Amino acid sequence: MENMLTIRVIADVWERHLMTMRTIEHLHMFSIALMLSIMIGVSVGVFIYMRPKTADPVLNFLNIVETIPDLALIVLLLPILKLGAGPTIAACVLYSILPVARNTYTGLKGVDEQYTYVAHAIGLSPREALFKVRIPMSLPLIAGGIRIALVFCMGVVTLGGLVAAGGLGTVLQNGIQLYQKDAILVAGIWTGLLAVILDGFAGIIEKKLHERYGTW
Amino acid sequence: MQTERLFERIDSIHLEGITKKYGHGFAVKDLDLEIQGGELLILIGPSGSGKTTALRMINRMIEQDAGTVTINGINTKDADPVRLRRNMGYVIQNIGLFPHMTIGENIGLVPKLEGWDKERIKERVRTLLEFVSLPPDMFMDRYPRQLSGGQQQRVGLARAMAMDPPLFLMDEPFGALDPILRKQLQKEFLKIKNEINRTIVFVTHDIEEALVLGDRIAIMNQGELVQVGPPEELIFNPANELVADIVDTQRKFKHMDTLKVKDLMSPFDEKYVLEGRTETCDAVDVMTERDLETAFVFEGERLIGQVTMVELMKCRTRSQKLSDVARPVKIFQPTDSVAFALSEMKSTGEYLAIVMNSNDPIGILISDEVLLKLI
Ligand SMILES: Nc1ncnc2c1ncn2[C@@H]1O[C@H](COP(=O)(O)OP(=O)(O)OP(=O)(O)O)[C@@H](O)[C@H]1O
Ligand SMILES: [Mg+2]
Repeated sequence: MENMLTIRVIADVWERHLMTMRTIEHLHMFSIALMLSIMIGVSVGVFIYMRPKTADPVLNFLNIVETIPDLALIVLLLPILKLGAGPTIAACVLYSILPVARNTYTGLKGVDEQYTYVAHAIGLSPREALFKVRIPMSLPLIAGGIRIALVFCMGVVTLGGLVAAGGLGTVLQNGIQLYQKDAILVAGIWTGLLAVILDGFAGIIEKKLHERYGTW
Repeated sequence: MQTERLFERIDSIHLEGITKKYGHGFAVKDLDLEIQGGELLILIGPSGSGKTTALRMINRMIEQDAGTVTINGINTKDADPVRLRRNMGYVIQNIGLFPHMTIGENIGLVPKLEGWDKERIKERVRTLLEFVSLPPDMFMDRYPRQLSGGQQQRVGLARAMAMDPPLFLMDEPFGALDPILRKQLQKEFLKIKNEINRTIVFVTHDIEEALVLGDRIAIMNQGELVQVGPPEELIFNPANELVADIVDTQRKFKHMDTLKVKDLMSPFDEKYVLEGRTETCDAVDVMTERDLETAFVFEGERLIGQVTMVELMKCRTRSQKLSDVARPVKIFQPTDSVAFALSEMKSTGEYLAIVMNSNDPIGILISDEVLLKLI
């Protein structure tokens, strides 16, 4: 690299592009998107587990959504949700439902029948058996799905900068438009680093869940 | 969810004509069976004879195609299954402790769902763990996979007792354990059984276990009840070949009629003797010291009866003499036939008798022990 990133350059870019604020925006969008993805994804997973007939159609549909390129999806959502964070968060969620729902579904189905049997036999209601036994025992797999969702969301949120969603994507876009190599580099590396850190963090949680709840 | 007690104690359970079909075959066919309150009823029979199916129709884990199950006159069909099951302790061979919960959480699960507060649950868990001989402080916070098979089965037992249910359903609870451990747990379970004095339906493959634990034994074959009765009855009056085979009379009881009381009695020991004029309070101390549950009361050379520890503890307040409280005891000659002695004992519900040679006590006959020696 000829153009060394000195501390001074980084600080300069950080200052000029309001990167502290952008980072907060970025993480804010990201956490809302991830929360929604988890809530909706787990609900969908539980739903299709309880109504097995719906499982295939729902998963197939989500698979189709998954194949739409992310930028195209955001643009498609623009007319409905207007400029801003809306389309980006919605796109994140649409992408992330599949991994979360699929893993939840697989996890619930994978719980050894003997445990559900015993749960019922000692007097748990179907609902209690779901919440006390099946879901906890599926947590390692569900966490795996969430981790995939996390990576999806990080990517999509960055793209959101292109449609005025704010966040670190905006810095990147400005950098490209004004052809400021430093800005592109700093924002790019920082975005990547954030993703790696969050994923690593999620990995640790997943591993802990495996140790705690994993039976296989 | 808090559920109201369905029954405090079991008076009787009636299975009437219960039938369960799978495809064209019957898993259980027109089964009539009465389970008396307070008894331990064994279900035994060849593999696939319908024992598990019959057991599971009691707690409605399987719904019968025909027939009714009534508990204390309540048709189980009219009871909410969740509530029904919380009134029954359930123990199975593969135990099924939840791997993601600690031992304490496993045992306290239903109490927690019943809305007990934390302290009460903890207290209960401790009591139960102690009851099944697992030091609470050592085991409460462990996970099931950190326990041996025998320890897990103890926890399974404790979990079944959590709500102090009046009825226990047990499906080969010791089936997966090695023989020595099984013996040990059976012994402890017998203690528990006598202490909690509950109604128990117990499925097993093991006739020895059946004879040790069972008050009555029901033999099933191909979904049908073949014979039900106390152990002696099955041994001495097997209804058919199968029953005889299961209790193994063919081989071992060929000389049943020729066996005499003296062949199977335990030798008499002076420690069983108490004097009629002894006061009950003193007798309790003496019996504790000699590690006796039952003692025989003599006045000089004359036998006047028997006393048991449990009875003596009851009448401890007043100062009585043993001669006042002694109950009659069965007496046999050494040359009486075992079959005769056992059926006599059964008719009065005694498990202990004394063997006298003219006026000399020479032995003690313990019905359970006799049966075991026969097997
Ligand atoms: N879910 C089921 N579907 C089809 N057949 C079944 C089912 N459950 C039990 N059966 C059949 O019903 C019969 C009785 O089974 P059950 O499990 O009650 O026997 P068991 O006496 O408990 O046997 P074991 O000693 O092997 O445990 C068997 O022939 C079995 O194959
Ligand atoms: Mg069985």
